[in-house]
Amino acid sequence: QIFFLLFFWLGVFLFIMEGRGSAVNTPASRPLTRRSKSYGRSCVEAPSYFWQTPGHLTVLKVPTSRGAAKSQLITNKVDPEHIALLVKNEWKLSYVTPLHHFRHTQLKSYSRHLAAFIAAEKQQGVAVEVGLEAGFKVTFTAVLGLAETDEDAETVFIQIQSKPAFAAAADAPKVVWRGWLTCVNGDPEYLRSLPSDFVSLPLFCTSGSESLTTLVKTWLERAFDCNFGSLALNSTTLNWLAALWTGCHPTCNIRHLKLAWSLPTQPPLDVSYTVNPQDAWELWNSIHPEESTDDKIDIKEVQSFINGLETHFFRHFKIYLSAGTLVKVSTALGSAHLDGKIKIGNSDYITTLLTLLTESALLKMPT
Amino acid sequence: MDAQVRSVLRRVIQRIPNKNIENLLKKWNCLSADQLCALDYTRPKWMIVEQVTSFCEENRLNLKHITNLEMIYHIENPDKGVWHACQLTEAQDDAVGVDLTQFKEQFKAHLHGVVRHISIKIKKHEDEAIWIRIAWGDNFSKPNHLKPTYVVHHLHTSYVFISNLMAKHKIFLCQALVIATKHGSIKDGHLSTRSLTAMRELLLRRYQQVTYPAMFTVTKHLFAGLFTDPCIGKEHSEHEEMRYQMSCEAFGHGPTPKLETAVYRLETRYRGNGNHTLSDREEFFRGVVRFSSSSLLDSLRHCVASGMAEGPVTPLLSAITQRGRNYFVITDKGPGVSSQASAQRA
Repeated sequence: QIFFLLFFWLGVFLFIMEGRGSAVNTPASRPLTRRSKSYGRSCVEAPSYFWQTPGHLTVLKVPTSRGAAKSQLITNKVDPEHIALLVKNEWKLSYVTPLHHFRHTQLKSYSRHLAAFIAAEKQQGVAVEVGLEAGFKVTFTAVLGLAETDEDAETVFIQIQSKPAFAAAADAPKVVWRGWLTCVNGDPEYLRSLPSDFVSLPLFCTSGSESLTTLVKTWLERAFDCNFGSLALNSTTLNWLAALWTGCHPTCNIRHLKLAWSLPTQPPLDVSYTVNPQDAWELWNSIHPEESTDDKIDIKEVQSFINGLETHFFRHFKIYLSAGTLVKVSTALGSAHLDGKIKIGNSDYITTLLTLLTESALLKMPT
Repeated sequence: MDAQVRSVLRRVIQRIPNKNIENLLKKWNCLSADQLCALDYTRPKWMIVEQVTSFCEENRLNLKHITNLEMIYHIENPDKGVWHACQLTEAQDDAVGVDLTQFKEQFKAHLHGVVRHISIKIKKHEDEAIWIRIAWGDNFSKPNHLKPTYVVHHLHTSYVFISNLMAKHKIFLCQALVIATKHGSIKDGHLSTRSLTAMRELLLRRYQQVTYPAMFTVTKHLFAGLFTDPCIGKEHSEHEEMRYQMSCEAFGHGPTPKLETAVYRLETRYRGNGNHTLSDREEFFRGVVRFSSSSLLDSLRHCVASGMAEGPVTPLLSAITQRGRNYFVITDKGPGVSSQASAQRA
């Protein structure tokens, strides 16, 4: 009986040791080993097994300094017609994990598949749009030139047009939904660490009905084993945008720097402070002089800029804006809202905005 | 009834929720009891509009009746549209003697004299307010009844409330008001809001002023639940008491007039955090601050009471209630000014 007990406890002991052994082998922080899973048939298994993408060899750091916003005639690099698609719309932001087996050469095929998927879902009774559409026409387009580095994948633009049931052949189909996947100045180490059959386009911008957005996301999730999440911006990103955009004033009239806070009073109080652009620029210039040889802007300078504005406000109204939240920043170059909504006003500085947003998307992704 | 009259009628009916139409029509008293019974308020709006229109045609009602209906609608629903306040100044000696008949005569006479085609309707409401509806025309065209101006004035007060006035008609209206009330001039009150009720409460001081001790017992209960440790509660209660007192002094206690916005145009020198380059310069750090809320004064009061704003309440904010306005231009008095900025009229 004693032997039996001894073997029993030995067995338990060995079992525990093995468990502990594997715990020791796996590092406590991000997994460094690649997991060799077979991804197999994408439509069958539940997505949750697949979004833990391997290859996170580096820890993504939040940058504390970055280069100043550079203007570039983006129309030199990107087709002006494509640019027109991106500017002046309000976009809702999401992040997406790397796409498996996504090919920029297969865009026509993806267009057909997504259109078929939407039609099938509609037949099943999933509410899509109220109306008499006979069907949807989907177009995937590659927007070349937005990618900045060699590691960035080219942007993909998706457009859904509805074909009304009784339209004449000459009637132009109406655009009912737009979206684009992009990666601009993504962290190069992270991008290099991805396995070759993954494409990272972490920022997803959408405009159109929620139901269509959900359908598109579902299809993308099933087709490319990825996972979406909403991308809310944080106040640090908004602070960066305020400073970077203000710094552009000499070369491009920003017209105003408008900051909006929300204070948690009963009922909530919205405070918007629209600063004269020249004065805002002079404040920024006094903190980070234009002529400084160092082209890098430090986060401390950005914080000093925002603090300066909050203090000037405080001296007048005795209200602590820090008791509330900065919810929106806007200039003529664009606007960004805490809820993850952006508007691109001017294509010249689009790279700056997209770089910040790509970074936010990569940081927000679960790893 | 011509097309314009029908449009006016349609607009009035379309604005009101179906359940309120009956009351309005009863007050109007232009449709017979049978007709009122025949109306079915559960039907879609466009059907009700058609029915009412046909009853009006039957009764041979004309523009006068319909504009009367519109006026009754506005008097019953004063918080629609955007209202602006103006202030009459330089009252003449006989200003206090002006009565309603005199006012009406003078007002109409002046406007008819300067504007060729104009339609004026004046009504006195039971709360002593005079309501005026003006449809403006010009030398060549008849009055436009689709865009009337509304004016509200309480005789012997110095405030006039105006809604929907075009810039080109402003001078005529101002002249008429000044003459009819026997004042020397009229100026912009720098107060605009959606709610006429709020405007009247604020300017005619109809809302409760502070009676501080009575209110504090109520709030003591409010704050009591926040701290489990009575010692901490006691420590904090003194500060709370002080903050609450300051907030009530500035914004009153109890329900406040429902203002929605306050706008401050800042033209003062930069007062940021020890930034020497900017603090030394002569030029102003220009900007516009806009406060908005579903009930601005409640929000500001809570701001002060909760500590989000530091007391004592800055004159810039308390000027909203003390001076009854919500648009300010803030300038420094001069170079090398002290830390307080003054509120000046634009």
